[in-house]
Amino acid sequence: MIQLYHVHKRYPNGTDALVDLTLRVREGEFVFLTGPSGAGKSTLLRLLMVMERATEGQILIGGRNIHVLRDASVPFLRRNIGMIFQDFKLIPRRTVFDNVAISLEIMGLGRKDIAKRVETLLDGLRLGHRLDALPGDLSAGEQQRVAIARALVNEPAILLADEPTGNLDPDLGNDIIQLLLDVGRRGTTVIVATHDVGLIQRYGMRTLTLARGQLAEDLPRQAPLRGGLERGPADRLDLLGQAAMVNPLQASAPAAAEPPAAAAFSEPFAQAGESTAVPAEQTDAKREAP
Amino acid sequence: MKRGAHPTYVLTQALQLLRGSPWLATVSALTIALALTLVGLFATVMFNAGKLMQDLGQSLALSVYLQESASEPDIAAVRTKLEGHEGIRKVKVLTREQDRERNKRLLSSELLQGLDEAAIPGQPVLEVEIDAALASRGDVDALVKWTQALKGVAAVEDVEFGAEKLRLLFALVEILRTIGIVLSGVLLASSMFFVFSTIRLAVFSRRDEIEILALVGATPGFIRLPFLVEGALQGLVGAALAAGLLGLLHIELRGLVRDVYMLNVAWSLLPPGMIAWLVLGGPAVGLAASALSVGRYLKL
Repeated sequence: MIQLYHVHKRYPNGTDALVDLTLRVREGEFVFLTGPSGAGKSTLLRLLMVMERATEGQILIGGRNIHVLRDASVPFLRRNIGMIFQDFKLIPRRTVFDNVAISLEIMGLGRKDIAKRVETLLDGLRLGHRLDALPGDLSAGEQQRVAIARALVNEPAILLADEPTGNLDPDLGNDIIQLLLDVGRRGTTVIVATHDVGLIQRYGMRTLTLARGQLAEDLPRQAPLRGGLERGPADRLDLLGQAAMVNPLQASAPAAAEPPAAAAFSEPFAQAGESTAVPAEQTDAKREAP
Repeated sequence: MKRGAHPTYVLTQALQLLRGSPWLATVSALTIALALTLVGLFATVMFNAGKLMQDLGQSLALSVYLQESASEPDIAAVRTKLEGHEGIRKVKVLTREQDRERNKRLLSSELLQGLDEAAIPGQPVLEVEIDAALASRGDVDALVKWTQALKGVAAVEDVEFGAEKLRLLFALVEILRTIGIVLSGVLLASSMFFVFSTIRLAVFSRRDEIEILALVGATPGFIRLPFLVEGALQGLVGAALAAGLLGLLHIELRGLVRDVYMLNVAWSLLPPGMIAWLVLGGPAVGLAASALSVGRYLKL
């Protein structure tokens, strides 16, 4: 799904944000990306969103080489990648509903269709009563849920989160991670960049550690320690509600009977297969390196 | 997948952009209205001046008054001279008696009462009709010069030619046309500057929003469209105002001309199709200005 080959990113001021980075994230995988500030976490996410281009190397997403992607195709790639930010990046002038609806407006969907999907998803996120509120009137946790709704409403195949809990107190942060785990369980590939080691240890998911732009450690998924996934569904209801537990994404779009991940990737990625995958030894070798 | 933005969305966003800077948007619309009204007024003036000159050109006539003592051969000589000249369509000879008859008809019967027939003035006149096609400025100039020279001929007493006054009118219209074009140009440019500024302000105030839209996968066209529509809307409002103003002016002027001058004027104070041009031109001006602004400030 996401493959990096010897990716190098040098900024104009001469700093090397990423150095010869090779890694692979499989479809539907949940990955934590960690490392100290300046290790290259954000740069990696920015490269995946094509907010910046790699200086060297290749990046394949869904089998497509985004290193050679034309600028005109970038918006269509981004529609397949939801992104969540530490500062939420909501539009302050637009209501909760409109902020989430953006992701569908840009695709030219009809008003009714948009309303149905947005409302269903926000209901599932327990924000159904705040549709007309402005982001400024919401708590930080609510704002981040709105941002997540915006990232998910068009059912992207990939969800990237850059320090999604950075502005939240620990309890809310946990709730957000639970929510992202739920998204991952539905088949979406999720990459969460965070420097909160405690958070990572709690869930025992695959963890990529960057240091000075290089892959310092690739810790495979472990049996969850305590809490985390073992927390009963009752906890998750706080965030997702009964309706959403069924699956807010599919409930919102009855037509999409197939798994969201597959449905979301349309034409540009239709031929995405494992044929372009990195040879297994390569990734395995990386994993054993530490 | 590549469906464009929904019209409702674009319009809603454009209206919200307008609400973001209502005063500047109002000023923009007003300057567009002012510019277009002026353009419309000048178009009206030019249109009517053109028609007037055409009418005048058609009735352009030259009267060559001959000495009362002029003999038949003298008259014939002048006539031949006139007929040989380019631009002269027809020469009609009025004898002394015919001229006297015409004068009698022109004078009121009261004035003529008890007057001796011989006391009524009469002299041989050559009525010369001039080719209307020649009534353009340069040709009239040449004709005026030539007719002045006719005065030097012995049998000719005087030459009366309306074109001398017409020449002044032509010059006036020409000056008016230049002023109109310059003034309209300046006003249109300044109204475009106002729209340009409004859009620039809107773009700057939506920096965050533009970035977010790009991140969720909006195409540059989708992001730019509301700004372009905002500019076009300012132009549309301006055009509507201008059309209304010109319409009012039209009604007022037509009434004035009829009441005060008792003229049954056939002139159109509002040239045909002008409203249509305004309604198209306003949004076009707004769109052009916002396109310039967006192209310059909305980089993606």
